Amino acid sequence: MSLSTTISSRNWEDVVDVDGNLLKPVDTSAINTTSDDQTLLDPLTGWSAFSATFKVMFLEEWRKSIDFAKARQVLTFPLMLALITMVTTIGLQFLVGSGAAQSSDIDAKTFSWSELRFALHLPLFMFSMGMGMFAFKGRDAILKRTGEKMELLAAPALQPLNNSIAHFSYFIKDLVFYVVMILTPIIFGMALGLLLDSYTAINTPLEWSSLPWTWAAMVLTLAQGLAVAFLVSVLWLRGKPFTTFGPALVVIAGIAVGLGLIPWDQAMLGLAVQTKQSLAWVVGGLVITILAGGFASSLILDDFDVHVVQRADLFEPIYNKLGFLGNSELRLLVAKEFVDLIRSGTMKKMLISYAVPLLVLLGLAWLVDFAEFPIPFNLLSYAPFLGFFGFNFYSWLTILDSPDFMNGLPLRLTQLIRAKVVVYFIATSWISVLFFILMAWRLDEWISLPTGLIVMICNSIYIVALTAYLMGMRPNKAIFDSSIMIWFYLGTVAPLLMLFLLSFTQGDVALYGNWWDRVGQDGLDATSTYFDPEQMRGGYYGIIGVSGVLLILSAILWKMMDKKWGDKPFEN
Amino acid sequence: MGNKESPLVIAKDIAKRYGDFVALHPLNVQVDSGEFFGVFGPNGAGKSTFMKLLTGQLKPSIGEIEVLGINAKKNPQKLKANIGIVPESESPPSFLTPVEFLDFVARLRGVENRDEKVEYWLDWFGLEEKRDTMCKDLSKGQRQKVMLACAFIHKPKLLFLDEPFANLDPIYQRKCREWLMDHVANGGTIFLCSHVLEMAERMCNRMAIINHGRVLAAGKVSDLKQSSDETLEDVFIRLVGKSIEEVESMDGDSSEEE
Repeated sequence: MSLSTTISSRNWEDVVDVDGNLLKPVDTSAINTTSDDQTLLDPLTGWSAFSATFKVMFLEEWRKSIDFAKARQVLTFPLMLALITMVTTIGLQFLVGSGAAQSSDIDAKTFSWSELRFALHLPLFMFSMGMGMFAFKGRDAILKRTGEKMELLAAPALQPLNNSIAHFSYFIKDLVFYVVMILTPIIFGMALGLLLDSYTAINTPLEWSSLPWTWAAMVLTLAQGLAVAFLVSVLWLRGKPFTTFGPALVVIAGIAVGLGLIPWDQAMLGLAVQTKQSLAWVVGGLVITILAGGFASSLILDDFDVHVVQRADLFEPIYNKLGFLGNSELRLLVAKEFVDLIRSGTMKKMLISYAVPLLVLLGLAWLVDFAEFPIPFNLLSYAPFLGFFGFNFYSWLTILDSPDFMNGLPLRLTQLIRAKVVVYFIATSWISVLFFILMAWRLDEWISLPTGLIVMICNSIYIVALTAYLMGMRPNKAIFDSSIMIWFYLGTVAPLLMLFLLSFTQGDVALYGNWWDRVGQDGLDATSTYFDPEQMRGGYYGIIGVSGVLLILSAILWKMMDKKWGDKPFEN
Repeated sequence: MGNKESPLVIAKDIAKRYGDFVALHPLNVQVDSGEFFGVFGPNGAGKSTFMKLLTGQLKPSIGEIEVLGINAKKNPQKLKANIGIVPESESPPSFLTPVEFLDFVARLRGVENRDEKVEYWLDWFGLEEKRDTMCKDLSKGQRQKVMLACAFIHKPKLLFLDEPFANLDPIYQRKCREWLMDHVANGGTIFLCSHVLEMAERMCNRMAIINHGRVLAAGKVSDLKQSSDETLEDVFIRLVGKSIEEVESMDGDSSEEE
């Protein structure tokens, strides 16, 4: 046998001109390879490829969820959701004004069904928009495929699988997973509430016949949000001029809805379905959203390039600016985290993910006016919520990079968690303060600003410390762990509620003194009756006291992290 | 056996460039059937980039590539279905078990008698006990075995292997080496990338040494030696060392600054 394999290099200037174009086109007629009598296989395409990929992706998603929590804890999450929905369903009578205690002026002081539907679909739509940036997820998976963790979304780089099909499978997988884990338990909870209506004296103003429509409507809202976010993320990744299309699309749609050119109940397909209860809308909406997801998938390129880019030193300049952290390992880790944050290009995404909930707060302020809510919201009412949004940003920080390499370094997991908490404060404090000043200006409550800042900062420190303590490096996976989420709910709702209620002593209307009696008697129809400076003073001390307690709790959690996470391996 | 008239791999003037950084200079290669061809070079020499271009994992900045009669730029899925690729550093999906991943890959390729082949390769690599363990919980060597099994499962004639024995224990290194030698003896073709020179001496018909994205020398292993006393390591250091000196003497910095 005589072999004649050859290989040789040429110089760039012999092959391409100064503009990078080939001097002479490659003579393709000279390229004539053979399969050497091997019967060539045809890789799966279309539905077959989708079906095979979808199945393993669903399995992967389930395994990812139970990797952090045990299967039992993951399964109790839908149960918990169902119970919460059941309680909410029972409480619906007060929201719509059919409670026994509510009798007069109901239309002005309660929500209409259309407002409640809107309140159900808008957060779901926002949630799905947040979860649907699949093009970014796919790109991240490709970039990180040489690390310790490998995801199926990166499989097309090596396996005979079209990247578009992989992304479409991921889109459908996420949709089905959320329907099974979140939407269906919610409907189940509503059904439980209705069952109580049948067997007890409790009155729930829902009809059995509305449940299938509600389920279908929520599925559509979820699918639409995922598809829109998917499309926007794909366009962004395609580069100019497509990059501008996505944000422009969202802005135009927002303006059209704001001006009333597109009615709200038709901008969100699920809302339209719930209002119209039309099967044609369900089928049509589902086809449109799946086609939109398919269209977004078709725009995904088979691009597995990891660009080689050399960078100037960023670590040392950042490290030098962190002198206030002393010379500890914390300073090193914080500097490293900032380098990750900047180099990964996720700073913008994270800031947006932090800013969006703040805008939701503004929306809440609008809703309060819109619904003529009888509770006296003021600047201090919003302060604790700002701290609450730290959870989102901290979650992002934990998935920036795989920390596995730190297992071989003289570090403890607690140090890394603390470094991320510090990064969170340095990166977001200015946004929170700025936003809070804007709120003070909007509400014209400058006098409450210093106290509000104290409440916001204390709450922020506490929420992030609690998140870090309970969830460590895996907050995204912990959301399906009921044993953690129960503590998280208790740990956050209690202080939030306390600060929220105490804030009502500080406005020009004081409900605090008799809020329980009044609300118990009149539900949401309750109104204030008197203004008491003593109680205002007491409320103020209460707010400062609760904030102080939160700071102390934060310090305790900070210390307890060593025991909980100190000897755990570095992984996310 | 080897089909001299028509090779299995032809690449004409393929190159890869990222901005001003050249990962691979224009390169021509032709690989014949029945060849055990090795590309050797120091870390960062451009070996993996070269292999990724030939296997359709990356698109070249310029040039044309055809493998097994399939255009690598236009139809990478078809190409990936018909060759075996063992990447340098990728692992199987963390949350699937070896049996699930092998089954998935076999389905994608349209392999017949899937279950039988999955079981065969699990057994061959001694992974039966770990068949239901998620890949993230396997050792690095076991994960490498899963990746090797994925490359072998459809029994392709042409294999592209990038550091295939990384993390394998000596027993499986020998077992795999013998299997690969048999594969070539039976008409298979192997394109290997490594920096382990021992593999060239033990296995390759021909080899090339590359550095900084350029071919420094190529030919039969014995032809690269200037004398009978010279070892392959001496050859490598002579060629690569010279290349480093040449690069250091060149002016200009092609790095992108922030």
